[in-house]
Amino acid sequence: MASETFSRRPVWLWGAAFFVGMFGTGFLARWFDLPSIPSMLVMIPPMLLLIPFVRATERAQAACGALSPATQRYNRRGLAWSFGYVLLLGVAVIGSRALHAQGPLLWLLAVLPALPILYLVWAMARYLIEEQDEYLRMKVVNAALSATGLLLAVATVWGFLETFELVPHVPGWAAVPVWAIGLGLSTFVNRWSEK
Amino acid sequence: MKNRLKVLRAERGWSQQDLAERLEVSRQSVNAIETGRYDPSLPLAFRIADLFGMAIEDIFQRGE
Repeated sequence: MASETFSRRPVWLWGAAFFVGMFGTGFLARWFDLPSIPSMLVMIPPMLLLIPFVRATERAQAACGALSPATQRYNRRGLAWSFGYVLLLGVAVIGSRALHAQGPLLWLLAVLPALPILYLVWAMARYLIEEQDEYLRMKVVNAALSATGLLLAVATVWGFLETFELVPHVPGWAAVPVWAIGLGLSTFVNRWSEK
Repeated sequence: MKNRLKVLRAERGWSQQDLAERLEVSRQSVNAIETGRYDPSLPLAFRIADLFGMAIEDIFQRGE
């Protein structure tokens, strides 16, 4: 029990460091009104914290007997899409300004950051197909359903508030972080309820 | 559903990890089944029964 507690602690530390780093640098970039390129450069170091975060997560999963080969593959794919997203978002933002993109080129650049997100959807589908452990798969499916429910609720309420001009417009891509937050919350609640 | 998995495992001197490896599932799955938090699918129940050389109904019984 003590070793499990010890092995889980770094997950929280790395996770907190990642989120504080990402939001902190994003906030500071806005505060100092940094141009797009420096803004992205300062977010690279906290982005790299994802690597120890995922490693610590895998150690904790292994310690509580929940690390399957499919989970490991999903974690690796998660890292790939995260870095791919930052890279392609940078290419899209910088490219569209530098090239004064219009027409088909602008369409191409605009869709670039969406590609890693589509890869994430594919990775999640692959996990559900590849996971041989039915209990672990059921837990992920339950968490994904809860996350989808939260997303539908938030999007519907926000959408009507937006229709009546009570809240500002939120881009459609915000669905992904809302869903991811729901997935994380559901996983946390399930883990807590199992104790 | 109740089950005798923990007793059967203990009789053979197996840890949860040992049983998990024999069933090719995670240790967390074995723990969830033993503690009644998860009822296995029919295919997994058959694998468990085959491993212990028993019928499914001798391992799993109705009830909370």
